[in-house]
This record gives sequence, structure tokens and C-alpha cells, in this order.
Amino acid sequence: MRRRSLIAGVTAAGAALAAGLYRFTDLFVKHYPPTPYDDVLAALVDREEAAKLGRLMPDAPPPAALAAQLRTAIKPNGFAGATESDIAADRLAEVKGWVVPQSVALLSALAAKV
Amino acid sequence: MTAFLDARTLASGTVLEPDIAIIGGGPAGISLALALASTRLNILLLESGGQNFDPANQKMYAGSQSGLSYIALDSGRLRFLGGSTNHWGGWCRPLDAIDFQARPWLPHSGWPFPKTALEPYYPRAQTLVEAGPWLYDKAGSSAATLGQELPLGKGGVYTSWFQFSKTRDGDLPTYFGHRYQDDLKRTHNVKPLLHANVTGIRLSANAQAVDHLDVATLNSQGGTGKKFTVKPRITVLACGGMENARLLLASNDVMKNGVGNQNDLVGRFFGDNPIPRDVATLVSFAGPLAPYYGANLALANGPVVKATFAPTSAFREAKQVAGSLTTVEQPVELDEDGKAAVITTAIALGVDASNAKSYSLGCGMELAPDPERRLTLTDEKDALGLPRLKLTMRMADTDFHLYHATLRELGRQLLASKAGMIRIHRHEEWSKGMDWGNHHLGTTRMHADPKQGVVDADSKVHGIGNLYVAGSSVFPTYGASNPTLNLVALTLRLADHLKKVTA
Repeated sequence: MRRRSLIAGVTAAGAALAAGLYRFTDLFVKHYPPTPYDDVLAALVDREEAAKLGRLMPDAPPPAALAAQLRTAIKPNGFAGATESDIAADRLAEVKGWVVPQSVALLSALAAKV
Repeated sequence: MTAFLDARTLASGTVLEPDIAIIGGGPAGISLALALASTRLNILLLESGGQNFDPANQKMYAGSQSGLSYIALDSGRLRFLGGSTNHWGGWCRPLDAIDFQARPWLPHSGWPFPKTALEPYYPRAQTLVEAGPWLYDKAGSSAATLGQELPLGKGGVYTSWFQFSKTRDGDLPTYFGHRYQDDLKRTHNVKPLLHANVTGIRLSANAQAVDHLDVATLNSQGGTGKKFTVKPRITVLACGGMENARLLLASNDVMKNGVGNQNDLVGRFFGDNPIPRDVATLVSFAGPLAPYYGANLALANGPVVKATFAPTSAFREAKQVAGSLTTVEQPVELDEDGKAAVITTAIALGVDASNAKSYSLGCGMELAPDPERRLTLTDEKDALGLPRLKLTMRMADTDFHLYHATLRELGRQLLASKAGMIRIHRHEEWSKGMDWGNHHLGTTRMHADPKQGVVDADSKVHGIGNLYVAGSSVFPTYGASNPTLNLVALTLRLADHLKKVTA
């Protein structure tokens, strides 16, 4: 076997192994392709469940608008602070009847759209 | 102790001349008779039924209806001694102070007096309905040993409490006829006359006073039996929210539109408390709720209680909502959408919802007074020749919308306290499972102005010097509380008034 072929084979096998490991860890930590909204989506602990909730809002604004609104809300005190502010100010959304803080609804809608 | 008299044993043409004739032996009539038992007044208590259910007698309640589906007119009430307490659920709760106030956002609302006018009568009323010591919104501390209240935090909804009628045997609830029959027999001045159907309230020619009452019995063939006359100094109508209106409307020989109906108000403003089932789903993040939310529980000191969620007066004023009492019904399972909502929201709030438990919510609602929701007479007659009733039933979308705001506030408070969350179901779903309280209200409404009410603040029919009405038919605004405790208190207030005017 020529040396060059050996190196190429080992590299390919390594890449395949790395990809496999990456997919294996999906079982524990879901990996998502990068988006322009990852700074906002980082607030989600369980993006899958949030996306399920978000899919109940098919008429939600486009992702860019959602993200812009969320960035404004999150900026002062983070996502937890935004959520608490929503509740205190009665900024609630009814998502298929579920009464949730507006920030939770917006973030879930964003998760469903990206 | 004397036995009850049976009107069927009287000779036709008999004339009885009591000081006060009470028409109807339900909770109002019996409470009034007992309250007047210590006086020198001769009281005649005219009860159309006997001591037990009789289908032929009950049939005289049959009527027709149009509009929104409602319980048959001969199903939601009972025509024998004890009246509708013979099938009541025993739910007791005083009306709120705001229920008595004129609320600008609720047309036709307001009583002619504040709740303070009724408060002196609640303790005795509580004794009569046998609901135990007066706890209500103080029940929380007594119930704490059974589990913690769901924390709601500050807001427009608070945990309120029902108490339940409880007989001395521990059976629920108090059937006034059975419970107080011996008390009635023991009195020296109250004469209960069974099987006595009042078929007409006959006015003097000047229409300013009741001259006499026409009374008839049913014979064994279901037709008219004996006929006799009662000439009382004072008459008190106490035969329920439907029958009070029917008797007034049907007694139209002097006043052509019926007694007390000079302003076309008798039979209008019919009210009840709608009980939509499964209005919402409540999720408790921490797990099962304390047992007093879903069931009626006996406290160690005696009373039977159940927790409910009620809007505060401040919230009702600020958000212009009506009264409502939201109750926890049964546990439910969430679908995948619901689980996603709970997981996502709980994570956002930073709480663990792995043991979350879900429940359906029901409600007893207050309707807005509506003059077009009404009882009228039909051409069809009952066995004694009295015209049957027709109910035109309806409910406005605003009634649902007003309640929606309260549910949303409950949801907000649960989120604020990180205790749980709710899902509000669509109004169309509420209507599907709609039940009614069988609380017949408002048809002889109370108002100081004769143009707006059938009776005045003393329950006297406007323009008629010696005719009074007792019971929930005089409630001009309904509240969400079950009426029995409140109508008994109101009747005891009437008893005090009658003692004064006859002194």
C-alpha cells in the first residue's frame, strides 16, 4: 500500500468515527446546524420540546422578527428576567389555550421555524 | 305536636283567614314560617305537594322553552314539602359585597341595599342550612393539615371556600321538608297545609292589596278536587323563581298584565348559574393538589369544605368581569402538545415539573342580567287550569369572555408563583359540557324604583300593600354563589320586617 493511500484511509476512517461519535452524542445533547439566531436560541434547554410548542403557532412572525423582539426582551436581565417581566406585566400568550409568558411563546416559535 | 293538615280533607268553599299566608314550603317558605313561629301571628303555610314526590303534582311544573338548551322546567325543581332542597347539592357560600353593588359594566346590576344589610341574618341562615361553623374564606387555615393551598401569589384571583349543608346524621345535605317537619309541627301558630295549590292571587278592585287567594287540590284522577279560599292580611309568595312569576302573571283579572307587572318586569331577567365543565386544564408543577380542591372534605371541627378560585372585588372592578367560582374537577392526562408546553414553561421558570399533575377545571358563573331571558305564559294549561310557562333562554358571548379574563389571571398568578399553569379551552368546548345550577333567579327582581323592579327593598311588591316575595326570584343581580344560604338570609330579613309591620 502506498503511504499516501494509507494516510487518506486513516483520515477518512477518523472522520467517519468522529461523525459517528458526534451523532451518538445526539442522544444526549441535540446538535443543530448554526443559525443567525443562536444567541437567542441558547436560552433554550430543551429545544425539541420548545419547537413542539412553537409549532402550535403557525402564524408566528418570521424568525428574524422573532429574534429581534426576543433580543430586546432578553437584553436587560436575560431570558429568566424577560419571563418574569412578562408575567408581572401580564404579557402573556395563549398557545392553543396554554397561557405562557410572551418570551416563552416567541422563543418556542423561533425554535419551530429554524 | 300536631300533624300537618291535608287540604284535600277540607270542604270546598272553606274560607281560611290567617294573618300571613306563605305560598310555598321550600327553603324560603319554611325558613319564614320558623322565623315567625315565636310571634302571635297566625301563619298558614300553603304547600302544593305532600311530604313526598308525586308525579302528578310534579307534572304541573311542566313547560316549554326556546333558545339555548336548558333543563326541562319540571326537572330542575321539586313540588313537595322542602321544595328544591329535596335535590340540592348542599353548596353554600355567601354572596360577595360587590355582588350587591351597581357595577357600571354590568347593566341592570345592583341591589337596593349593601351586603351589610344581610350580614346579621347569615348566622341563623347558616344554622338552618346546617353548614357548620361559619368559616368560608377562613377555612384555609383549618384545612392546612390536609395539604397546602396552591400558592397563587398576588393578583386578581384568590382561593375561596364553599361549605356544605350537613344534617345531624352526617348525611348531605339538609332537605328542609324532612329536617324541619317536626319543628313546624311543634309550633303553636304555624299551620302547614299540604296539597294546597294556589291558583290565583286576587286583588281588591283598586289593585292596591291582595283580597284573597284561590286554592285548589288535585283529585285522584289528576283533575281539580276541592276549591277553597284564603283571606290573609299579608301574603308571601315563596314558591321559587319560576312559580312566583307564573302565579303573578296568571293572576290577571284585575291587573291585566298580571299582579305587580305594571312595568312588564315579572318573568324577565331570569337567571341561573351556568356550570360549564372542562373550561380549562390546570397543571400543578409540584404534583397532586391538596384533596380539598377536587373533593368535599370534612374538617376536624365539623364543616365540610371545598376550595375554589374566585376573582377578587378589585379585579372584578378593574377588569370589569362578572363573578365566577372555578373548581377543580378530575385529574387528566396531557397530550404531547400539553407536555411540551409544561416542559418548556417549567424550564423557563426554573422549576422541576417532573412530578406535574393535571386537572380539568369547571366553573359556576354569574350571568349578566338580561331582560330578554324570560318566562312568559302559554295557552297550555296545567291540571288546575293555570297557564304553563315558556322559558326563553339565552346567554351572551360576553358572559364567556368576562370569565375568560378571570381564567387568564389565574394562569398568570400560577406562573408568577411558579406553582403551575393552565390551558384555557375554547368557548365552544365549554358550551358542549354546559350544565346549570338550577338556581332560578331574578324573575321578580328587587329594586327601589318600581320601573326597574317588581319588589322594593323590603321584598314587598311595588304598588300592592300586602304582598311580598321571598326567595331567589328577587335577586336583581345574581353573583356566582349558590343561592340557598343567601335566600334564607334574605328571608330572615323579611321575617324581621313582617314582625315590624304587624306589631
